[in-house]
Amino acid sequence: MIRTEHLTKRYGSLTAVNDLNLEIAQGEFFAFLGPNAAGKTTTIKLLTGLLKPTVGRALICGFDIQQNPVEARKLISYVPDLPFLYDKLEPMEFMLFVGQLYGMERSVVLRAADELFELFDLNGNRTQLIEDLSHGTRQRVVIASALLHNPRVIIIDEPMIGLDPRSARVVKDVLKARSRAGTTVFLSTHILHIAEELADRVGILNRGKLIAVGSIDELRKASGQGGALEDAFLMLTREAQQAGTLVES
Amino acid sequence: MDTLMLFRLLLDVNARAARRRIASLRQQSLLMVSVIALFIVGYSISGYFLFSLGFKHLASIPGLGVLLADRMLYLFFAFLFVMLVFSNMIIGYSSLFKSQETAWMLTLPVRPTDVFRWKLAETTVLASWAFLFLSAPLMLAYGVARHVSGWFYLKVFVLFLPFTVIPAALGSLVILLVARYMHRRLFKWTLFGLGIGAILIVVFGLKPMQVAELQQAQMIAAMNQLLHNSNITVQPLLPSSWLASSMIAWGENWTSRGLFYFAVLLSNALMATLVCVTASSRWFYEGWSRNHSQGNLLLGVPLLDSNITLPRMGLLDSLVRMLPGLDSSSRALVIKDVRTFWRDTSQWSQFVIFFGLLGLYVLNLRNVTYDWSNEYWATFVSFLNVGASSMTLATLTTRFVFPQFSLEGKRLWIIGMGPWGLKRVLLEKFWLSSIGAMSITVALTLTSSAMLKVPAWLTLLFTATVVLMSLALCGIAVGIGALFPNFGNGSTANRRDDNPAKIVSGFGGTLCFLVSLVYIVIVIGTEALPMYSQFTDGGLAREARPLPMVTAWLFVSLVSLVATIVPMTLALRHVEKLEM
Repeated sequence: MIRTEHLTKRYGSLTAVNDLNLEIAQGEFFAFLGPNAAGKTTTIKLLTGLLKPTVGRALICGFDIQQNPVEARKLISYVPDLPFLYDKLEPMEFMLFVGQLYGMERSVVLRAADELFELFDLNGNRTQLIEDLSHGTRQRVVIASALLHNPRVIIIDEPMIGLDPRSARVVKDVLKARSRAGTTVFLSTHILHIAEELADRVGILNRGKLIAVGSIDELRKASGQGGALEDAFLMLTREAQQAGTLVES
Repeated sequence: MDTLMLFRLLLDVNARAARRRIASLRQQSLLMVSVIALFIVGYSISGYFLFSLGFKHLASIPGLGVLLADRMLYLFFAFLFVMLVFSNMIIGYSSLFKSQETAWMLTLPVRPTDVFRWKLAETTVLASWAFLFLSAPLMLAYGVARHVSGWFYLKVFVLFLPFTVIPAALGSLVILLVARYMHRRLFKWTLFGLGIGAILIVVFGLKPMQVAELQQAQMIAAMNQLLHNSNITVQPLLPSSWLASSMIAWGENWTSRGLFYFAVLLSNALMATLVCVTASSRWFYEGWSRNHSQGNLLLGVPLLDSNITLPRMGLLDSLVRMLPGLDSSSRALVIKDVRTFWRDTSQWSQFVIFFGLLGLYVLNLRNVTYDWSNEYWATFVSFLNVGASSMTLATLTTRFVFPQFSLEGKRLWIIGMGPWGLKRVLLEKFWLSSIGAMSITVALTLTSSAMLKVPAWLTLLFTATVVLMSLALCGIAVGIGALFPNFGNGSTANRRDDNPAKIVSGFGGTLCFLVSLVYIVIVIGTEALPMYSQFTDGGLAREARPLPMVTAWLFVSLVSLVATIVPMTLALRHVEKLEM
């Protein structure tokens, strides 16, 4: 579903993503972890075609995002960390707009939106303007709109920020259920226990390099740490940091 | 999704949002609605009245009246064309490469070229509507002076549509090229270089004004000179000349000539759009990606490369340290404000454009072929100068100083919770902007007075006036900026306050500009009145009769003091009670 081949992005002299080779299967829940400025958001922007890679390519369901962007994007839903919404619309109007952008019939959008509003507890906000919604409610609207057209791939950047525990639970349950139903989920996060709880596989990016990839157990083994994912993460990133420092010196 | 379907959806969304914005006016304060209505009605009536007077005066010049009136149209549209190109470039850059909506649209299953097309249309409307509104009274006055039928206005409206498309396409082409091939930092330095170049031209290009030998009796020669100097505006390759030619032809009922120029405008507008859209398919996405992928660029010029890290070198700190009477917290605030401005390229470009235009204005003063041996003209033009400088200053303070407090929106807690409090922040902004404004206006006034050979006492008077005006206009901008901050509301509070242009476009910005204008009219009117009576009494400015002038200046000082202190006091009280 998602494949990257030697994906590299350079910002001037800085290599933000360095020779990333990744394959994520259909229905897989993939958590993408890494310290600050590791290159996670840049990777996501490359996967969604927002940025052009310096070297390599990214394929979504077999479509090269640079060669066939429209075809690839029909199959993706992307939820950025700071999503865009039209402030003067009501949530249902926004859903209708997004659904129609994906070529859905009005009646189909309304039916799907009703279900999603129920799921995300948004029925009480139907007639409010988006500008009057709280951050968490806006986030729920964005995630609901991303699920509207039944994407085959969901790429989501830090979805839990600003969500209350109940909303966070709903989002986690919905994403997991979609993944079980065959949708590939690519989730970038700093919150390790979310990855631990949901992910089938985890990739750790450090200074643009994919330093580890595998299931939680495989990462624990690779790091030599038996405990929580946090310990494995800290160990692996520390090792990579030290190796990088050695190479630089 | 095809282009038309996408446009239909986007139009629907934007129309809905626009309807809600208009409907929300009912919930706004009566004061705000009244101020906006007053501005629209006031400008329309006074604009029409002044333009009508101008056309009437031109018509009274035997033989040349019609020619001069037509030339005014050519001049006006040439100026409008240049302004539209700049305006489209500024709005287009933010809309195409900085907008969150564009980034979002680029993740949807739509072609980047379609996103570009929509944004081009949006930019054209946003960049052009205000200019059309501003030129409406001129069109009306011209039509009335020419005794045209009602159809004329409809034809002019239709003429304007292709006319606005050409600068939009040109501006967007430049932006596409810049985004695709020029590094952001290089762009900043290019603008900086152009600004410095303009200043150097003004400084070294200045020569003392030669007193023209023209006398009143040689009015025809003067008019000839004026026509000669504005010849460039009737060049047949300028879109503005096609618009003016067509409009004049419609006014004279020369249908085929009018239609011909309309066809020229329309075909060029279509061609420009075609070129622009074709270029966008190659450059828009490339430019967007490049614009968001730029690392640090070393230009290979040590001075420029080191200057990029100017604030870190401590030069700024050293300069600020030299300012007397500043404690460490005030110094920190000053340094933060200067750094923030220095690093915001989008602010720079507009700043440079303002000063480029001012520089051109000052440079052009010596080309004005009035009778400089006549004291009336010299003094009239020097007052015009102070008026133009202060109007520009009012625009600058509204655009750059007014949003300062709102821009602190996200950061208000860190500044407000500090030991110095928000009052100090407000005072720092007032003094920093006042010093900046004064350094510009005083330099301009001294330069233009030297060019016009204005007597020393009058130069002193003008300089003292612009110092007072700088303080008052900054007081108005900082004060109203704090009284009517635009932090956004509800959950949007943390997102909407980052674009100064959007902050200015709200109620507070309009009020700030209007109050500034009223203040300028009072000041210039008060100072000009005794001078005017002196001339009507047959006296001369150089034979100083300073008492009425000094009295007027004292009154101006009082008004300026009130204009500075009242908004600042209200603002200081307001921020003291502000809940963060």
